[in-house]
Amino acid sequence: MKDKLGNVLDWLKSKGVDYADCRYVNTEAESLRVTNGVVDTLSRNSSIGVGIRVLHNGAWGFASIASTKEGDLKKAANKGLQTARASAMAKKENVRLAEQEAFHDRYNTPCEKDPFDVPTSDKIGLLLEISDRLAVDSKIKTAEASMDFFKTNKIFCSTEGAEIEQDIIESGGGFSATAYDGSQVQKRSYPNSHRGDFATRGYEFIEEMNFLDHVDSVREEAMQLLSADDCPDTEKDIIICGSQMALQVHESCGHPSELDRVLGTEISLAGGSFMQIKGLNDLKYGSDIVNIYADATIPGALGSFGYDDEGVRAQRSPIVKNGLHVGYLTSRETAPVIGQKSNGTMRADGWNRIPLIRMTNINLEPGEWELDDLIADTDDGIFFDMNKVWSIDDKRLNFQFGVECAWEIKNGKLGRMFKNPLYTGMTPKFWNSCDAICNKNHWRVWGVPNCGKGEPMQTARVAHGASPTRFRKVKVGVSK
Amino acid sequence: MIGKDKLFSTFEKVVKTSRADETEIVYIGEDNGLTRFANSTIHQNVNESNARILIRTIIGKKIGVAATNSISLNNLKATLRNSFEIAKYQKDNEHFPGLPGPADYTDINTFFESTSRFSPKDRARYVKKVFVRANRRKFTTAGSFATGDGEIAVFNSKGVRCYQPMTIANLGIIAMSDNSSGYSVGLSRKVEDIDPAALADVAVDKAFKSKKPKALEAGDYEVILEPAAVAAFFEWIAFIGFGSKAFIDKTSFLSDNIGKKLMDDAVTIYDDANDTGGIAMPFDFEGVPRKKVTFVEKGIGRGVVFDCTTGHREGVDSTGHALTADEQGEGAMPLNIFIEPGNKTKEEMIASVKKGILVTRFHYINGYIDTPRAVLTGMTRDGTFLIEDGKIKHGIKNLRFTDSLLRAFSDVKGISKDRGLIPPWWGSVGCICMPTMHLGSFKFTGTTDF
Repeated sequence: MKDKLGNVLDWLKSKGVDYADCRYVNTEAESLRVTNGVVDTLSRNSSIGVGIRVLHNGAWGFASIASTKEGDLKKAANKGLQTARASAMAKKENVRLAEQEAFHDRYNTPCEKDPFDVPTSDKIGLLLEISDRLAVDSKIKTAEASMDFFKTNKIFCSTEGAEIEQDIIESGGGFSATAYDGSQVQKRSYPNSHRGDFATRGYEFIEEMNFLDHVDSVREEAMQLLSADDCPDTEKDIIICGSQMALQVHESCGHPSELDRVLGTEISLAGGSFMQIKGLNDLKYGSDIVNIYADATIPGALGSFGYDDEGVRAQRSPIVKNGLHVGYLTSRETAPVIGQKSNGTMRADGWNRIPLIRMTNINLEPGEWELDDLIADTDDGIFFDMNKVWSIDDKRLNFQFGVECAWEIKNGKLGRMFKNPLYTGMTPKFWNSCDAICNKNHWRVWGVPNCGKGEPMQTARVAHGASPTRFRKVKVGVSK
Repeated sequence: MIGKDKLFSTFEKVVKTSRADETEIVYIGEDNGLTRFANSTIHQNVNESNARILIRTIIGKKIGVAATNSISLNNLKATLRNSFEIAKYQKDNEHFPGLPGPADYTDINTFFESTSRFSPKDRARYVKKVFVRANRRKFTTAGSFATGDGEIAVFNSKGVRCYQPMTIANLGIIAMSDNSSGYSVGLSRKVEDIDPAALADVAVDKAFKSKKPKALEAGDYEVILEPAAVAAFFEWIAFIGFGSKAFIDKTSFLSDNIGKKLMDDAVTIYDDANDTGGIAMPFDFEGVPRKKVTFVEKGIGRGVVFDCTTGHREGVDSTGHALTADEQGEGAMPLNIFIEPGNKTKEEMIASVKKGILVTRFHYINGYIDTPRAVLTGMTRDGTFLIEDGKIKHGIKNLRFTDSLLRAFSDVKGISKDRGLIPPWWGSVGCICMPTMHLGSFKFTGTTDF
């Protein structure tokens, strides 16, 4: 395959392109879901093809084709070249790429048990047992359990001489119980909502989540929510659990720190960013204890890889340091705008799509608190657990999140349960109200398998390390 | 484009080798181009030639699904074997009634040569027109212009032979100044229906009129919602309200409310995939002809859409709204949603408002707050205006809403006679066709800085 890609790149060089790269991607995916004892999803999907990116006369073109035949690849390369020529008809200035070492390397996901070698009957057996045990009470209207696996082989070659092969395995799963009492619906999930937790690991990741140990508590809490009080409409000190903090970081720091958004190139769909370049090293994003960084090198985390889809090596870089906005997620095209080299965040969701700046593992550094001490230190608050609702404006300022379940905190103790809990705020004010973060004992990387961005839409699998965190005087309960 | 004859003859060869009781092959081929622009320059220009071929095999009541993106005979036969092996591992699905047999579907022209031939250079010419138009009034633009063709075929061992070639063209524009923005969109199967200059003018006009927006307190306001704003509700409601899974799971507001009054008498909402005024598609991904389904008729809950499996479970026929076999766990979904038009113009509705808000569109709506009450939250975007004494007064900074659609649609003061076609997230097999709506009460619960 590398020879074929090399031949295509040689042909493009002969046409005088400024730069070109080819990505061969072969992905196998398996999806399984049991709903109320019925296996309603059991499918395998394979997709193979090549994407060719061409920079000619300072303008981009991209073409992709579901083929690996050399003749087809050259046709796609020519289409990419012609498209770059069309782009040049409406360019303002030439695209400039940051310098980049041309690596020759190979990377593999750490994996103990290839999920595609685990018998399907074992996976279905586990999901059926979860579904059956969730549904033992008639108030549980929907018992769902799912697993998803991805195996990707990709080869990246460029006209600069890069030649990188990567094998990435991703595994994830989870379950939920939806309770219904004739008028209202309440749901609890494990280990996270929206199909569970994910990692760049093998089936051992599924086994380590010990699903069966958590079935009873999920079922019982879903039913308890039916008779819980509504979350009050008021202002409270709040503690947010680790998985919800992951989404808070995702929406209010990860996306706005994508430099392509900042430069306006995502405005047509997802919007822009309040983290403007003039605020770099100046914007007080959060309180002094807030440290957020990108790190694509965490072994097993869902946003980890060896090299991004521009051939830039995975790395760690700060975004917020001691509350100050100090960095962005960048690409070879955007990094020179702020006088830097790419920090390696360009990824495409397949051979057929162009790489975009995507989150890797965007993490909130742990603080010093034990969770019990933090709750004990809170006189009048609410503990928010596990995402249900997410919404944020197109510059990532005004957000509103809902969670599956919350508990009142009174005089340092967890009390009654609340249903339909929401909290809302403005990003910098919210993060500047952060006064306590739990320590590394409570810190965990949460996989987010469904981050949407771009046109045509692309789905990225990213992750966020976080631990329970406290914020002061936050508006809660705005659902009425 | 491969064409009906070649696809069917290939599938015939594959299905002949199947050891399953029933076999289905669904082909979705696409050849799409998309030109993306921002800061009045093209920054992405992409082409994709791809296909999805899904093979569903049935052994008794066990179902296996495998998919590939290669049409080669060897690959299809390997995918068939894979599907068969998966089916062997399955448990019986008692709700599955078997694959459907052949049925006549409406003959609709959904393919236009002009769109199919549209090249990257043609798209660049259109986009340049947008730049020129906006630059004249000193606005920059961002947006995307997609054109493409494709074909969908459904073939099964019980004789279903459905084939539909199609094209799509979709231009979305955001015009911007330092402190304002405006939006417009054009969608059609025929590229000549897209007028880049006219669309640019609409976006620029909104950005011009909303310059230096003023802050407005959150609260309960009368609103005029333009088609893109109304459509954003229904991208969510399609999933949480009108689909068969939500209905069966009791999470839909229609679940226990068929025949009950849910909205204002003026509101009739339906799905009609055979209406060529929308983005028509005459059969679903099981090869069942798409029927017109009314969700809400004059404010009264009427029904939801079904595929073969969920329909059988509920004791009704499929309405022709099946998703692809790998997605059927999500149940049936409506992909062509319409609200019946009224008899007013947007201007007449604005003129009737003492104090209210005109919304061009919403951003990042989420509908999981309380699905039985259809509570949604989201932000306004790209052109939000204060109306006072029947006139647009000035632009306002964006607002967050959190409200029940059932409550908001229970006080409808007017519906426009014109409707706009809005591209949904599910792509070229459908659309959302909405009028401008005048609601008596809508709850805004938050503000932002721009």
